Amino acid sequence: MRRQSAILVGIALIPALLGLAVFRVYPIALAVFESFFTTLRGKRLFVSLENYWFLVTDSGFWDSLWITLWFNLIINPLQVALALLLAIMFLQKVPFIGIFRFLFLIPIGVSLPVAVIIWRIVLLPEGLINGLLGTVGIEPLRFLTSADFALYSIIAIATWKGISYWMIFIIAGIQNIAPEIHEAARLEGASAWQRLCLITIPLLKPTLLFVLIADVTINFLLFAPIFMLTNGGPRGSTNVLMYEAYKSGFVFGDMGRAMAIIVILVLILLVVVALQFRLLSDSRPGLAKT
Amino acid sequence: MTFARRPLAEKIGIYVLLMIFAVVFVVPLWWAIISSLRPNEAIFRDMYPFSLRAFLPEPFSVQAYVNIVEKGFGTIIWNTLLVAGLTMAFGLVVNGLAGFAFAIFDFPHKNKILSIVVVSFMLPFEAIAMPLYAVVQQLGWIDTVAALVVPSIANGLAVFLFYQFFRQVPKDYYEAARLEGASPLRILWSIYVPLSMPTCISAGLMLFIFQWEAFLWPLLAMPAQQFKVIQVGMATFQDQYTTAWNELFGVAVVSAFIPILLLLPLQRYYIQGLAGSGIKG
Repeated sequence: MRRQSAILVGIALIPALLGLAVFRVYPIALAVFESFFTTLRGKRLFVSLENYWFLVTDSGFWDSLWITLWFNLIINPLQVALALLLAIMFLQKVPFIGIFRFLFLIPIGVSLPVAVIIWRIVLLPEGLINGLLGTVGIEPLRFLTSADFALYSIIAIATWKGISYWMIFIIAGIQNIAPEIHEAARLEGASAWQRLCLITIPLLKPTLLFVLIADVTINFLLFAPIFMLTNGGPRGSTNVLMYEAYKSGFVFGDMGRAMAIIVILVLILLVVVALQFRLLSDSRPGLAKT
Repeated sequence: MTFARRPLAEKIGIYVLLMIFAVVFVVPLWWAIISSLRPNEAIFRDMYPFSLRAFLPEPFSVQAYVNIVEKGFGTIIWNTLLVAGLTMAFGLVVNGLAGFAFAIFDFPHKNKILSIVVVSFMLPFEAIAMPLYAVVQQLGWIDTVAALVVPSIANGLAVFLFYQFFRQVPKDYYEAARLEGASPLRILWSIYVPLSMPTCISAGLMLFIFQWEAFLWPLLAMPAQQFKVIQVGMATFQDQYTTAWNELFGVAVVSAFIPILLLLPLQRYYIQGLAGSGIKG
């Protein structure tokens, strides 16, 4: 009987664990390993830390790292704040809210490449946004082909696509707050604004942290819009590390450099995930409804 | 406080905000859908000076959709459905079994293994796409359907969803059925699987949408581009037919339409699955 169930546990677990080991864990180990090698005229050479040394002495890498950090510093707080606002609006009990709720959920069904294709045409010099700006007399702007705007256009597109998705987590978090707390505060005369700042947001802290950090891990590795819209340009203004790694490995054939960049990205992400576990387990709200 | 008793300014404020979000979400999509139903040369005609006719399908034409089918987009959609369908079918079995084992049985290092599984889904697929290319190359799967399906089957989030659900089923069911002489697999199939239909739908949708939206991995894994899936197909289409605006919109509309069609009736399950992972994860 005992042995039988041990075999059964094995059969049930092995496909999933093997899949995760081979296709999730092993690639990370392989990236670290490969980052110590380089390929020269078809031959693999062990170069120890040379790939990393080339990176830290390459101003292009630092520019790319800086763009990645700046991009994330803007997009993540922006997305979380807008997702919170959207969630609060979603939960308003007003007439016709059903229609708005339906509309708010639509971007979830739209993939990022679809959003990119649509917004690329919307943002053309002769496109919809410039047409609308033209009605108030603003000259057409080059949203995607000028170094001043391109990064922010990508932020706008990714935010348009992303906030509905994060809204769902925040709605679940808000609904977990016991309604009696709000009721009591209202009887004490707290305004809607006070209740938001003093009750909803503090009790929502674990959810907001979860969303923030899950969002960071996605945006650190954002690739499709840069690949489809700007190829890192104009003048390197959207050349985030993920794209730099892709270019190194799959355009210039320097897999060692690509892997070294990926290792650095994953290290930053591991720090972020570890941070998430720390912060989330420290701040469990005592008042959440069970 | 009911809506009617709120101050007027507050009512107006709420609707203004709701409208702003709704307009920002809907207008680009509406323009895309309408423009896909117009001849190419009509699309920018109403921009300078701007006229509201830009939002009407006039003149009406389905030529864009005829063209994209002729350019092979039907095959691309079929390919993607195949990849997503296979991933969903295998994924439900593999991850469901693992979730069941974690929920029902005790074995050494269970919690450690489970937490590795949980951490594995916090790291997005993009982080490992490039090293995964080297793994799949060693397996000789580059440019095969296996390269797209097999690495995506085992999914930490799906395991976790099943684990969470099966754990809530009272253990008495399992033990009573065991005493009656039923095998664990039979118990899983005739008691646990029927109970877990909502979890199956959430996990299945998640696997399906993951594959439907996959971009970087199919781009790397299928360099010959013989077998294209939708998101990559769309990107190459954009490169090839840069100024066929109505066809580009048509492609975007079609590829958004299929997941929305799935999500509309099943959104409750999708949202529950997502939200559950966030709150308890």
